[in-house]
Amino acid sequence: MVLQQAWKAGTAGILMAASFAATGWAQVPGVTADTIKIGTFGALTGPGYLYGKLPMNGIEVVFDEINAAGGIHGRKLQLVREDDRCDPASAIGAVKKLIHQEQVFAMIGGGCSNATFAARETIDEAKVPLIVMASVHDGITTPTPPTIFSTATTSGIESAAQLQYAIDQGAKRIAIVSMRDSWGRARYNPLVEAFKTKNIKPVADEELSPDANDATAQVLRLKMTNADAVIMLLYPKPAAVFMRDAQKLGFKPLAIGQTGIADPAAFEEQVGSPGATAKFRTISMVRYTPQDPAVDKWRKAIETKFPGDRLSVFNLFGIGSAQVMVEVLRRAGPELTREKLVAALNGLKDFQTDVYPGPITCSETDHRCHKTPAWLAKDPGGPVRVLGATKVE
Amino acid sequence: MALFGRRNILLALLLLGAAAPFFVNSYQLFVANLIVVFVLLSIGLNILVGYAGQLAFANAAMFGIGAYGTGLLQVHFGLPFWMAFPLGAVIATSVGLAISLPALRVSGLYLALSTLAFAEFTRWVFLHWESVTFGAGGFKTPPVSFEPLPVSKPVGLYYLSLILATVLVVLAQNLVRSRIGRAFVAVRDGEVAAESLGIDLLRYKALAFGISGFYAGIAGGLYSAMLNYVSPEGYDLFQMVLHKAMIVVGGIASIGGSVLGAFAVVALLEGLREVKGVQEIAFGAILVVFILFMPGGIAAFLRRKVRGWDEPVHRAGPPPNPDPAAAARPASEAARP
Amino acid sequence: MLLLSYLLLSGVTTGALYALVALGIVVVNKATGVINFAHGELFMFSGFVAWSLHVGAGLAYPIALPLAVAAGFALGVATDRIAFRPLMKADVISLVLATVGIAFVLRGVARVIWGGKADYLAFPPITSPEPVMLGEIMVIPQQLAVLGGAIVVMLIFAAFFRLTRAGKMMQATADNAKAATLVGIRTERIYTLSFGTGAAIAAAAAVLMAPLTLLYPDMGFAFFIKGFAAAVLGGLTSLPGAVLGGLTIGVIEALAGGYIHSSFIEVSAFVVIMIVLIVRPTGLLGVSRVRRV
Repeated sequence: MVLQQAWKAGTAGILMAASFAATGWAQVPGVTADTIKIGTFGALTGPGYLYGKLPMNGIEVVFDEINAAGGIHGRKLQLVREDDRCDPASAIGAVKKLIHQEQVFAMIGGGCSNATFAARETIDEAKVPLIVMASVHDGITTPTPPTIFSTATTSGIESAAQLQYAIDQGAKRIAIVSMRDSWGRARYNPLVEAFKTKNIKPVADEELSPDANDATAQVLRLKMTNADAVIMLLYPKPAAVFMRDAQKLGFKPLAIGQTGIADPAAFEEQVGSPGATAKFRTISMVRYTPQDPAVDKWRKAIETKFPGDRLSVFNLFGIGSAQVMVEVLRRAGPELTREKLVAALNGLKDFQTDVYPGPITCSETDHRCHKTPAWLAKDPGGPVRVLGATKVE
Repeated sequence: MALFGRRNILLALLLLGAAAPFFVNSYQLFVANLIVVFVLLSIGLNILVGYAGQLAFANAAMFGIGAYGTGLLQVHFGLPFWMAFPLGAVIATSVGLAISLPALRVSGLYLALSTLAFAEFTRWVFLHWESVTFGAGGFKTPPVSFEPLPVSKPVGLYYLSLILATVLVVLAQNLVRSRIGRAFVAVRDGEVAAESLGIDLLRYKALAFGISGFYAGIAGGLYSAMLNYVSPEGYDLFQMVLHKAMIVVGGIASIGGSVLGAFAVVALLEGLREVKGVQEIAFGAILVVFILFMPGGIAAFLRRKVRGWDEPVHRAGPPPNPDPAAAARPASEAARP
Repeated sequence: MLLLSYLLLSGVTTGALYALVALGIVVVNKATGVINFAHGELFMFSGFVAWSLHVGAGLAYPIALPLAVAAGFALGVATDRIAFRPLMKADVISLVLATVGIAFVLRGVARVIWGGKADYLAFPPITSPEPVMLGEIMVIPQQLAVLGGAIVVMLIFAAFFRLTRAGKMMQATADNAKAATLVGIRTERIYTLSFGTGAAIAAAAAVLMAPLTLLYPDMGFAFFIKGFAAAVLGGLTSLPGAVLGGLTIGVIEALAGGYIHSSFIEVSAFVVIMIVLIVRPTGLLGVSRVRRV
């Protein structure tokens, strides 16, 4: 009898423990014994796809590599994509769907600045960890959110670096030419702040639309101010138009690009006017251009998985942020919870990825984890040169 | 009244809508609220385009003006949502009245372009008048609170939207069956004939633009509160395409159709999340297939197949001409030289 | 003075881009009375096709250009068969929306095929890339090629409408489709022909313009809006009007950018359109069709 009772109690105990363990797992959304569900959102459609679909392709190849090697603590990574069309309402919808319907464990995402900024509130409320892959809006990471971390150089960091670089190169008369859309403004406003901090004034402030086909008016106006450096907060297309018209009109300032023009070789081809890019320098979130042998492995992975595609810097944005996610998932250990993941992110120090110029360091109080953009140049006809990385404090 | 007639179906939808917050998750509630807001937009546009026959492209801009108006009055003047919201709708209405002026001179594709130009101008103002609109970066609006009612913000806002939408749907139903509605239809079917019947073109065109501006303004105010954020991207030409799609899919010159069209388009957009990467292709293809195989939209289809979906412009009895396709055809000839 | 001449010239060269797009819109509208809202996407898609043939497959320019134009024509015919012919009796909004649907499909397909190749695909120019002196002013030769192209297309089609049987039939159809049918013109064929021709013009335009504008899936809409505006400004059915409208918009933009501020470039054209349409509701060179009672 006693034996039987003990046996019963024992089984009950084991069953209880088992069920406890089971509910324990069930309490962590998106995690099962052998999978972890990671969500991603950004533009899959519309012009913003460069900052959405392409980084997502990068994440996908990193996950494939990890899964082929057995996953993280025995769990395979699953990626769930949602489209936000670069639209704030759609981004809120996408994030709500990932969190409440898909029940993802964590997210890597964020392409367009306004869309991600609008979705921040929903993410903060649900306390789901997010690693931002491409959005740069300062409002996403300042004031420091509970669970959002950015491996993109935020616009404040980028702007400060751009201005510092112009000054270091001896520029006295610095001008701005920018796009007046959310992408452009997310960079423009911090740049103007950076000017104020340095107590200088831009000598000119011109605007160019993302679809512009002519920049004669802008170039002539800048030329009249004798600007010796121009900071271009422009997509590659309007920037190419600007450089071409500047060449045509004999205006040859130091031209400083932004992180979206991180491939000077492709840019030279886009400008298409011989010698026009001689004084072009660009800042980059990643250390390598897509042609660099150092990223051979990833080029092969992208071009195999997505036939017809060519490796782009946008793919690299995704690869870098996915590598950070993989690392912190590993550090969070086999008993995965969101709190542990956030703790691992908060404690991440000097982590090197395959793509970023400097190490990734986050802290409790600062979730802007990428502070070392690189500087790239390409002499007409010559190879791409990495001029070094700026560390912004 | 037929069992599956318009009134019963709309009533069933309303009941379903009222019960929704008790069994849906937070994402589904968001989508439901989106549908309700789009119902308002769809009806406003259908009154202008479907009933009054004005091929205008400024509805997304009106929607934006409602959202900006509501948001900015709260941010700049510290007005509570309860005051800013109706004022925002009033602003949208007055802008609607103002843009009816060009409609007196031009029609058809010329009206399309002049309203499109106005919409682009509005977006330019949102982007460039930074001291007021905060420019391209947009701005956060203060969160709406429903105290002392015991509901959370999303649920409260959802019910507010639902109540307003119900009232405005009923209002629109009655409007299109009144003298005003019939005057709209007369203007649509022939301006010269309408004028000879003593219909004042200026007055009725302005009224149609004003009403659609009002509906879009109410929708905009609710939308800004839903997102707690206003920025220019939401009110672009893609938004305009969505509005047009709602009335074409639902049924031109049909209030019931506008409601169903809003459901269909929002459901389609959210449903297409499943076909990652090819949403654009699927959206375009479905739109084309729908227009080809469902002429007159859902409303005309139901009118042919189900009893109780006629929408006479007179209260008494069915119209003398029971051909539904004829009833649902706006003044396309006027637009085609 | 040099500033003004530079601005005027840049206005004219940018305006030529708009004019080329507008010409295709006008050719379609002249015969069918509708606006093809997918015109910008037909333009974009044909440009990518030309890129694949010329840069991708390495075909020589004289072979790639006609092939791209043929592809454009085929796309135009497909647009007619899918989104116009079955809808001739439908209302104008359904027609507009059907072409918008086609535009979405083309944009999505282009994104899937070419979207992963680069952010903006460069297309080698047919002329020398070095700027040349024109009097005191520097110009990029390709810009002159676009301007020349716009004028040539305009002259060819003006002659086509005046001198050829097909052209006259197109005009008769546009004037009065019922009467045209009565005298034995197969109006449906005329519609197909004009959709195809409009898209072929878009393809030729894309090849000429791509070296200046670069190729990307979302380029179509911006050009369509400007082209539509140029066409309406010129009166919607007039070929010289389309060119005049395009150049006017280009020059207005350049002058607003040069003399006021570059932030006024994008909006200036629209403000002018609103004013022109209120003052002259049928555009600059349009024929008034208002019936007097």
